[in-house]
Amino acid sequence: MSRIRAALSAPGTLAIAPFALLLLVFTLMALLAPVLAPLDPARQSLLARLRPPGSMAGGITFWLGTDELGRDLLSRVIHGARASLAVALLSVIVSGILGTALGVLAGYRRGWVEVAIMRAVDVMLSIPAILLAIITVAVLGPGFLNLVLVLGFTRWPRYTRVAYAQTLGQAGLPYVTAARLAGARMPRLLLRHILPNIAAPLVVVATLEFGLMILFEAGLSFLGLGIQPPTPSWGSIMSTGRNYVGTAWWIATFPGICLFLLVLSVNICGDHLRDRFDPRATIR
Amino acid sequence: MSLGAAALAQVKDTLSVDLPGQPATLDPHIQWDTDSYHVYRNIFDNLITRDPSGKIVPQVASAWTYRTPTEIEFTIRTDIKFHDGSALTPEDVVFSVKRITDPAFKSPQLTQFNSIIDARVAGPDKVLLVTEKPYPVLLAQLVKLSIVPKAHVEKVGAEKFNLEPMGSGPYKFAGWQRGVRVTLEANDAYWRGKPAIRTVTFQNVADEATRIANLKSGRADITRAISPDQAQALKSEARLKLLPVPTERVGFLFINAQWGPGTDLRVRRAIAHAIDRKLIVDALYGGFATPVDVVLTPANFGYVSGIPSYPFDPVRARALVKEAGAEGAEVVFGTSPAYDQRLVQALQQMLQEVGLKVTIRMTDHPTFLRRRQGNPDEAGSISTGLWSCGCQDADGVINPLFRTGSTWAKYSNPKFDAAIDAARATIDDAERLKHYADALRILYEDVPGVGMFQYHAIYASRREVQWQPTAGESFAVFDMKWQN
Amino acid sequence: MSRYLLGRAAQSVLAVFGVMTIVFVIMRLSGDPTLLLVPEGATREQIDALRAQLGFDRPIAVQYADYLWTLGRLDLGQSVVQRLPVWRIVGERIPYTAWLASTALAFSVGIGIPVGVATAVWRGTLVERALMPLVLVGQSMPTFWSGILLIMLFGVGLGWLPTSGADDWRAVIMPAVALGGLSMATFARITRTAVMEELGKDYVRAIRAKGVAQPVVVIRHVLRNGAVPIVTIAALEIANLLAGAVIVETVFAWPGMGQLAVQSIQARDFLVVQAIVLLVSVSYVLLNFAADMLYGVIDPRIRLRGGPR
Repeated sequence: MSRIRAALSAPGTLAIAPFALLLLVFTLMALLAPVLAPLDPARQSLLARLRPPGSMAGGITFWLGTDELGRDLLSRVIHGARASLAVALLSVIVSGILGTALGVLAGYRRGWVEVAIMRAVDVMLSIPAILLAIITVAVLGPGFLNLVLVLGFTRWPRYTRVAYAQTLGQAGLPYVTAARLAGARMPRLLLRHILPNIAAPLVVVATLEFGLMILFEAGLSFLGLGIQPPTPSWGSIMSTGRNYVGTAWWIATFPGICLFLLVLSVNICGDHLRDRFDPRATIR
Repeated sequence: MSLGAAALAQVKDTLSVDLPGQPATLDPHIQWDTDSYHVYRNIFDNLITRDPSGKIVPQVASAWTYRTPTEIEFTIRTDIKFHDGSALTPEDVVFSVKRITDPAFKSPQLTQFNSIIDARVAGPDKVLLVTEKPYPVLLAQLVKLSIVPKAHVEKVGAEKFNLEPMGSGPYKFAGWQRGVRVTLEANDAYWRGKPAIRTVTFQNVADEATRIANLKSGRADITRAISPDQAQALKSEARLKLLPVPTERVGFLFINAQWGPGTDLRVRRAIAHAIDRKLIVDALYGGFATPVDVVLTPANFGYVSGIPSYPFDPVRARALVKEAGAEGAEVVFGTSPAYDQRLVQALQQMLQEVGLKVTIRMTDHPTFLRRRQGNPDEAGSISTGLWSCGCQDADGVINPLFRTGSTWAKYSNPKFDAAIDAARATIDDAERLKHYADALRILYEDVPGVGMFQYHAIYASRREVQWQPTAGESFAVFDMKWQN
Repeated sequence: MSRYLLGRAAQSVLAVFGVMTIVFVIMRLSGDPTLLLVPEGATREQIDALRAQLGFDRPIAVQYADYLWTLGRLDLGQSVVQRLPVWRIVGERIPYTAWLASTALAFSVGIGIPVGVATAVWRGTLVERALMPLVLVGQSMPTFWSGILLIMLFGVGLGWLPTSGADDWRAVIMPAVALGGLSMATFARITRTAVMEELGKDYVRAIRAKGVAQPVVVIRHVLRNGAVPIVTIAALEIANLLAGAVIVETVFAWPGMGQLAVQSIQARDFLVVQAIVLLVSVSYVLLNFAADMLYGVIDPRIRLRGGPR
């Protein structure tokens, strides 16, 4: 963890400060959505559909306008941060834990375990992830939990590759041998000794994956397989809103800007972290 | 007229059509989805057809008479030629009927024609069709029967025929670049006259926003499946126009009477009272829909006016929910991306306002169909539907939707079954109407579904395209022309 | 060497087989196309009859054996929806997919690599700060959104490019930009890393000390030696482009395999989906293999060896 601290205090960190700040803003927006949102994001008013930003109806001002069902776009965008961030975060956690565990295991145990895991990685990588996601969502049905599971279980190989390569590099080092000779059992050895030493490149993979997952959720929404309505996510607001791009530009534009800034910030911060750590390790 | 003026006056004679899907097959005896039908109905003639008012009129058959309630004799025109120049004969008609009704051919359309147990040539220009029992909807179904050339199909085989279809219609098949476009050329020897439009191309453009961009940029001349909101926006486009038409599709809300809160009649009635049809039609559909009180449209035979209905009355609805002890009861709203999600969410809110807790369960369309047509406990409590039988007859609507034992029905009432069975057993129109009035009254009492609106199909085209779309959603390029 | 190749080939066949099995089982769990094929008023008996005729009432294991048997005869089977041989349906899409993927790749490489070099050479300067976010733009927008923006601007507004379709070289530009934008940042990153690493090496310092101009150093020496990781990523990225094409092709009505895949999944046209997955996973395996082979050409120091990578 000291490397992370070092990274944060390294030169160039200042350049990413605005993006890190944006990440913080979006995180707060998601956490505090019920407090921040001026109105109920599900509250419809069919007589006030597709109103432009700043319009008033029934004594309420819709700062960002209303959507195709007369719901307050501002409130939906604020609440949408929750679903978008939560899906991305949770699926990164699921795939990260699964992928890292398998990678460390493969790198440490070698033998048939290694062969089996790494061949499974090849299998998973050679199926286009979005196709697998579409097929699996078709079986499980869309919805928050299923989305997290589908993304989690299709994206793990990226972590496995990195964790595997890193563990191979660590396993032969003297400190590991020393720990083993001192009688450390395998789980303890992996968790206490190896994992902290290979964490940095994995964190980098996770940041890049995080941005991708937000786009993935949006893509599945476009295909009608995202979060269940009426819960808003940026992806789902945008995919309905894009049909109104010529008439009610605001619907897709505002969540689009948020999503763009979020993913951009995540990518820039990820790139920054990558530069600080061994960059070779996280090529893929 | 000078040469320059002649060139100026030259009218465009090609038509570029954007369809949301590519035709699955062009063999008219296999798929019957809307996009396939939009293309191949121009290549083939049908046995009979409908005029713009919806009346069944001659096409390949110039006349028909019932010999007995189960035997109907068609007189076949003798002046029709297939695109290869061979004459269309009664043998071709018999072949077409036998082909589509042969179980081994596995036609998905089989169920529409399998009441026919025999077809035979009964004279030089006569064909006799025999049904198992009197089947009043036969003519309405035969509107969809395309006549294919027997000799050609037998010669080239089913696969080649599907790739390069040949019929007797106003347009000849000219090419199919799969996933891109189908091209048709005018058939100058067509028996109803030379088509005004010489070349038609059908492009496959899935995304509505892209279809509209194509229209605006002049890449496409006409497209279908424009949503009401986009239609409103297109009204202001000077170079484009909208061609909306009320169809035989009925927008309705299915209520599961055999599982969940809907098993209580009071809850079903409360749901009916909670729906504000006028608001849906005016605000959500911008007038591109017509409210109906029953699960039928005026374009269907069997639509009877004067059937009582449940007016929008949230107070009464709330009281009924309370009376049934169903406040906060979970109503599962099954749906798929194939349905209008604006409508689904609007209905969710309307039902929540009268005290029900509505959970939307969205799945992809095949999964939705499997559950909706599965056991009552899988089907969800409610779902929207947009139903068309393509036959413009009540038999094709309320029969599959509500008759005991149908895959769609989650409801059973022997009196209702008896009424629609009686309506199916006679070819006397007046008597059928009487039975349907009874059936609709029973549906009013039991509320296994709530009719909401008659759906309008919306086409959008260049301003110069002259055409009147029909309730049957059939796309006859022969009837279109460019106006200068 | 040949033993290594044989081992690789065997593992690859196993991997492809695994992919096919997974997709087959999941697809079958998702139901079958019968309900989509029958008219709306069909009775349960009629539905069951059609299902039996199409063979979807048999146990999954039997269907799978049947499928393997079909494959064994080098046949991809027949589509139940389109009633045509699968090879014909999928085959017609391959040129379009190849066309779009190669143009997109050219676009992302053409911009990604120069940006990567520039940000490495001028590390920490304003150039880096200005260029990096620029290539990240393409990776920070859903393609269904960037796609429609491109159409509105260049297709409808300016009228420069066709709004959809695949008629000529102009039609491929917008989909390729939307698709290529996804990979641009990846190429920039990898190039930047590789170039930075090379620049730090002694030989570069030595060449520079001899007074060789910076551009010559970068192009002649640095890029050549840094090419290995770039080629690896290119191979992987092509597979990513095929996947990304799913949405781009839908937006631009591009008749490639991505759109066909989505439509076939929605229509439960199993054999078409299987064929596409087969094709994609085989091309993934072959591309990786080709990349490995290329290493030897680019950098003779690399010796191919067996065992997991």
